[in-house]
Amino acid sequence: MSKISFWLQRIAQLLIVLLLVTFGVSLLLRLLPVDLATILLPVASEEERVALRAELGFDKGPIGYYLQWLGNFVQGDFGKIYFSGGTEEVSDHLKEAMPRSLLLMIYTQILALVIAVPLGVLSAYRSGRRADKIISNSLFALQSVPGFAIALILVIFLGVKFGWLPTLGYAPISDGIWEHSKHMIMPVISLSLGLIATYTRLLRADMITALREDYVTMAASKGLSDSRILWRHVLRPSSMTLMTSAALSMGGLIGGAIVIESIFATYGVGFEIFAAISGRQYIALQSSVAVIALFYVFFNLVVDIASGFVDPRTRDRRVNA
Amino acid sequence: MRKFTKPTWLAIGWLGLMMFFSLFGWLLPLKSWSFVYEDDLEVGLFSSGHLLGTDSNGYDLLSSVVAGTRMSIFIAIAAVSLGGFIGSVLGILAAYLRGKVDTVMVTVFNVGLSVPNLVLALALVSVLATNLDINQAVPTWRRIIVLVMSLTIVLIPILGRIARGATLSWTSREFVTAARSMGMKDSKIILRHIVPNVLPALIAVAFLAVGVVIIAEASLSILGVGIPDGASWGGMIARGRNDLEYAPHVLYVPIVFLALTVISTNHLGDVVRSKLDSREAKV
Repeated sequence: MSKISFWLQRIAQLLIVLLLVTFGVSLLLRLLPVDLATILLPVASEEERVALRAELGFDKGPIGYYLQWLGNFVQGDFGKIYFSGGTEEVSDHLKEAMPRSLLLMIYTQILALVIAVPLGVLSAYRSGRRADKIISNSLFALQSVPGFAIALILVIFLGVKFGWLPTLGYAPISDGIWEHSKHMIMPVISLSLGLIATYTRLLRADMITALREDYVTMAASKGLSDSRILWRHVLRPSSMTLMTSAALSMGGLIGGAIVIESIFATYGVGFEIFAAISGRQYIALQSSVAVIALFYVFFNLVVDIASGFVDPRTRDRRVNA
Repeated sequence: MRKFTKPTWLAIGWLGLMMFFSLFGWLLPLKSWSFVYEDDLEVGLFSSGHLLGTDSNGYDLLSSVVAGTRMSIFIAIAAVSLGGFIGSVLGILAAYLRGKVDTVMVTVFNVGLSVPNLVLALALVSVLATNLDINQAVPTWRRIIVLVMSLTIVLIPILGRIARGATLSWTSREFVTAARSMGMKDSKIILRHIVPNVLPALIAVAFLAVGVVIIAEASLSILGVGIPDGASWGGMIARGRNDLEYAPHVLYVPIVFLALTVISTNHLGDVVRSKLDSREAKV
């Protein structure tokens, strides 16, 4: 099989997954025991509901409805949020929420990597010694503490007891870097602690394997310093799994930050989904979940392509498989 | 069998205590968690009469946490056993039969995995817990069932993929080929040769899954779609947020219980897995 057809097949697979996810959510809406139009317009007249059903395509059966939604979605029409006073575009909400989520995610990843890489290198270098044990054990415990628990404890201390940081809200960068970061510090710490533990663990395991390679003995016998060997010769070939895991956690972070976003009122995409669910805005829910799945699948593809470039061995292995 | 280390004993001990609370908590001389001590509001930790203090509603935190343990552990065990069973059956069959069944199963798993856990659970809970009459509240028992069902569905692709991966590494071994060439039935090969070999890996993951479910249930409660009028650890955390400023111990109690439980299950999962690795290494 040639490389091009391999990639085409891979992309086709991901497209199928995307179509199935969105179709699944669409079917889920049909499973509701209550009529959707009644939920969306609780105080409307029957004619208005009939009109809404026709507008959304509810009257066309599950597949007809899905196709109409898909057609709109591809053209950037994500549907509407229904209020008693009128409607709002879901895409407007997402336009506001997306940058917040993306920034939150990028800061989280940067913080996690900046802390995890030195810790991983150190604990691999001192593997089995006291430093490694302290790092590994404390990270293991930390990994088991959910983000919302860390968030609440941070709020109690940094927010309430010492009053250093605002406990609610979001400030865009245009309000000034300091204001922006004051609102971001606690959410980012809460989200990144779990990742730090995962990343450190992965990097440590890969580095220990790499440290046993012949070229490391060779470098050491040439008289290179330990730190040079670690940072220049071992870190790069060992960072594959770490990078894969980092990229894969992106998609999850966007939507998975729901609880953190709701604790700190950083209204991002996760919170939009939550708001859609608690407000019974099922069209908004369908489109937001689709956006998250899109991100997830996109990062999956990026990982595949990037790993092919960084490590040619995986590329060949897959092509031959 | 090698002796356990000290942390492992601590983990077993803590989970044992949690199991005792869930099974025999009603034997303890405590009033119902929803009993209101009107004269003892926001009592601190280790006060007389209230070992873990009370919150601003006058609920005794020890009774709450015992009741919460029962709820959280029940939901976790129910979801993990159901999800684990269904997931492993699907995963093992997919890996053993290969071909079209495998393709379909892998696609289904990928679809489930491409939506973040919590988003999937939230969506399922909200759809399944909708009443015919939307103005009427959903009864607690139905909420519990819905919660268990949703978390089960979330777990199936996670555990199914692991079961499939574990099975794949065994189906090509010589003894399976031998059994097949001797004319052994597929069902018998799976039960006699595949399942016993895959089981330890699944048990290790099941421990981790318990932690995942406990955290997911708590997250749902914090978002207000858990069990509203029952006590679970997540419910206690959600209610405790109101006392965050003046009585933070109301939050510390459930957080510590939840965190210690998740640390213990994760640790035991690791222990099982490392035992497994050393067994594999000897083969």
